[in-house]
Amino acid sequence: MADLGADVIRVENESYLDSMRNGMQVYPDRPSLNGSGMFNNMSRNKRGVTANIWHPGGREMVERLIKTADAVLENFSAGAFERMGFGMDHLRELNPNIIYISISGFGHAGIDTTYITWGPTAQAVSGATVMSGFADMPPAGWGYSYLDHTAGYYGAIALLEGLYHRKRTGQGQYIDVAQCETGMMMGGVAMLDYQVNGREYVRQGNHMRWPATAPHSVYRCSGDDRWIAIACETDEQWEALCEVLNADDLASDPLFQTNLSRVQAQDQLDAAIEKYTRTWDTRELMYVLQAAGVPAGTAQTSEDKMEHDAQLRARDFYATADHPYLGVRRFEGLPLHLSATDWELRGGAPGFGEHTEQIMTELLGYTADEFAQLKAEIAV
Amino acid sequence: MSGPLNGVRILEIGDRGEAAGLLLAAAGADVIRVEMPGFGSTGRSQGPFVGDNPGPERSLHHAYFNVNKRGITLDPSTADGITLWRRLLERADVVIDSTGPGALDEFGAGYESFRPLWEDGKLIWACITPFGLTGPWKDWEVNDLIQIALGGPMMSTGYDDHEIAPIRPDGEHSLWMGGEFGAIGIIAALYERENSGLGQMVDCSIHESVSCTVEGAFPNWEYAQRLVQRQTGRHSSPARTAPWQFLAADGNYVNLMGGGIPRTRGNWKELMDWLDEFNAADNLREERYEAAVHSDPMVATEERAHIAEVIGKFVTSRPAEEIYRRGQGLHLPWAVIRRPEQNLDDPHWNARGFFSEVEVTGFDKKVKMPVAPYQFSETPHAITRRAPMLGEHNYEVYHGELGLDAMQLVALAGSGAI
Repeated sequence: MADLGADVIRVENESYLDSMRNGMQVYPDRPSLNGSGMFNNMSRNKRGVTANIWHPGGREMVERLIKTADAVLENFSAGAFERMGFGMDHLRELNPNIIYISISGFGHAGIDTTYITWGPTAQAVSGATVMSGFADMPPAGWGYSYLDHTAGYYGAIALLEGLYHRKRTGQGQYIDVAQCETGMMMGGVAMLDYQVNGREYVRQGNHMRWPATAPHSVYRCSGDDRWIAIACETDEQWEALCEVLNADDLASDPLFQTNLSRVQAQDQLDAAIEKYTRTWDTRELMYVLQAAGVPAGTAQTSEDKMEHDAQLRARDFYATADHPYLGVRRFEGLPLHLSATDWELRGGAPGFGEHTEQIMTELLGYTADEFAQLKAEIAV
Repeated sequence: MSGPLNGVRILEIGDRGEAAGLLLAAAGADVIRVEMPGFGSTGRSQGPFVGDNPGPERSLHHAYFNVNKRGITLDPSTADGITLWRRLLERADVVIDSTGPGALDEFGAGYESFRPLWEDGKLIWACITPFGLTGPWKDWEVNDLIQIALGGPMMSTGYDDHEIAPIRPDGEHSLWMGGEFGAIGIIAALYERENSGLGQMVDCSIHESVSCTVEGAFPNWEYAQRLVQRQTGRHSSPARTAPWQFLAADGNYVNLMGGGIPRTRGNWKELMDWLDEFNAADNLREERYEAAVHSDPMVATEERAHIAEVIGKFVTSRPAEEIYRRGQGLHLPWAVIRRPEQNLDDPHWNARGFFSEVEVTGFDKKVKMPVAPYQFSETPHAITRRAPMLGEHNYEVYHGELGLDAMQLVALAGSGAI
C-alpha cells in the first residue's frame, strides 16, 4: 500500500516492540532499533510514530490519528486490539466510515480464535507444508514464512477492495483476514480431488502429477550445490534437450520416446539426465536450453538474483534508497508497473518514532509545546 | 452479487491469470473467461479429473480456478473474432491478459492494437506474464517449476541432506503469487480510475512476484552477503538450526515452531507440567533449559538441541491432533501438519463459513471449496456459480449483450471464430 502511494503510518511502542526491529541486525556489534535490514525492506515508504496507549495523552493521540485515517490495519492476535480499547464499535465512534482490517492466524470469528500462528504454524495447518517434498520422506515444507508474505498480499487485496467500495459508496467496513485460510486457498484442487475421487494428497517430489509431463525435475550441475530445473512439455522440447546435452543414447532409448513412456520411467529418466547435467555450469546450460526452446532455469540463490539475473537487472527490480542508519541499500521492488500511476520507492523504513513530532504538529494539530509535554510524560 | 467489486466487468484471456480472476470474481466482479473454441484453456486438460476420466468438462483444476466466472469462446486470430473482441473490450472495465508479451498483437488483438482504450479511455489492461513485458528473458519458455527455481523459493526449500535436490512445493504457487500481485495492481488501478476517470496498463511479472516472496534470503544477502541453506521442514538459515518438525504417534507430523520452546517462563512451566503427566520431562526442569525461552530460535545451542530432542521424543508418543490442540491450549504456536483435505471437517473453518458449497460439472454432489480467505462485514464474498463449461455463456453474452442473432452465432461458430 505504501509503495502504491498510500501514506502508511506505523504506530509503535517500545514496551511492545515489533520483534522485526531487533531481528537481523546489520551491525551486530552496535545493535539498534533502526538497525534491522529485514525491517528496512518491509517498512520502506512508511512513516513511523510512537505512542503509549496506556497514557491518556498517548491514547488520545492514537484516536486523533484514527479520525484522520481511511483505514486501520493491525495484525495482533485475535481480540488483542479490542482489549486495548479499539474494537470495531469504538473505531466507528471515532470515524464512522473507517475500514478496519485485521490479519490474524485463525481470524476473529469462529471457535479456535485464541490459537496463535507464526508463518510455519499456518503453513502446517493449512496444507502448504505437507505439499512439499518426497512421498517417502518427511515434508520438506517451505524454507521460510511463505504465509507471512501471502497473508500480507491478501490483506492488501482485501484492503484495496474495501477502499474501492468506500470510494464508490462512502461505506466503511470490518475485514477479518485469517492467515491459515490464505494457505488453504492453494490446496483447493487437492480438496476437490478428495471429495470427488476420494484421493488423499500425496507428495510429488519435483515431479508434476497434473499435468503429468516428463522430464520435470531438478538436476545437479557442476560446482557446490548448483542445480537446474528442466521441464519438457512436448516431444520437440525433449528432442532439443537431448541434442543440447549431446545425449544420443537418451534420444534413441525406446524407454524415453514418448511423454507416456518418460512419465512411466521417470526415476530412470532423471538419473540418466543428471549424468549429463553434472558437467555443465547451471547458468550456461540454462541459456543454451532456453535458446533451444527448452523450459529450463537455474535454481537461483539471492546472489544469483541480485548480482547475475539479467532480467531483474533490466527491469531495475532491486531499486535503491537511503536510510539514515543503514545507508543506501537495495530493496525488493513491487513486481508490477502501472503505466500512468506507477509505484515508487521514496525512502527506507522510518526510524523508531521518526515522524511522531511531524505528524502530531502537522497532521493532528498539536502545538510544539503540547508535543514536548506528552513526550516528557512518555505518552508518545 | 454484493461483493466490493460488484458491477466491475472483467475479461480474462490466457492461462496464467486464473488465480487473479478467481479472487476478483469472488469479490463480485463479473469475470468472463475467454477461451479458444474447440479445446479451451490448458486447465481443462490438466487433472485431476472427475472419476479419473479425462475430458474438458471434468477437470477439477478448471472447476476450482474458474468458479464464479462466466465462459465464452473466441478466437482472436480471426477477423470476426477481433470484431467481437473489440466490442467486448469497449464494454469492459478490466482485461486480464496472460497470453504473453505481444502474443495477441500478432493478430491485431493485443494491448498495442487497442492502446487508445487504456491510454485515453477507461479500460484497465492488466498483463500477467512470466517475466513482464520487457527485458531479455521475456519470451523464455517456463512453467511453475522453472519460475520457483528462478525466483528463489526452491533454493530455500528442501532437506538437510544437500545430496537431495532442492524442492518445488506443489500447488503452482508462482501462478498464485503472480495472480495475487495482479489482483493488487488491478484493484489499485480501479481505485485510481475513480479519481482520474482513466484506465491504464498494469504490467505484472511472475518472476518478480516470486522473487520478492523469499523472506530472509533477501536481507541475508543484501546486508551480510550470506546465503541461506535449506533445511528439512523448517526455515532456511545461514547456519544449521535445531529441528521443528516431528513425527507423531499416529503417523502425522507436527510443527513445533522454534523447536517447541515457549517464549515465556510461564508457558515453559505449563509445558513441563504436561510432560510430567507422561514422565517425559527428562532433565528439562534444570534452570539452564528454562532460560532457553529467551534465546534466539535461529541460533543453535546445546540447550535448544536437547530440548528439541526431549520434546520430539514425547511427541512420538501422542497423536498429532492432540499435540496441536493441547499445545495451542498453552498458547504455544504448535501445529498439526495436515493434508489440505484434512481441514474440510475442522469445526473452526466451518463455524467461520470459510468453505462454500459448489457444484462440479460431471459430479452429482456439491463439494466444499475455499474461495476467499477474508470476511467483509458489508460486502461479503460468495460463490454464486460453478465454473463454466466451454462456451456456456456464448448466447448470454453474444446475443443477450451484443445483440447478435441466432443465424450470426451459427455462422461465427461454423467458421471457428467462437
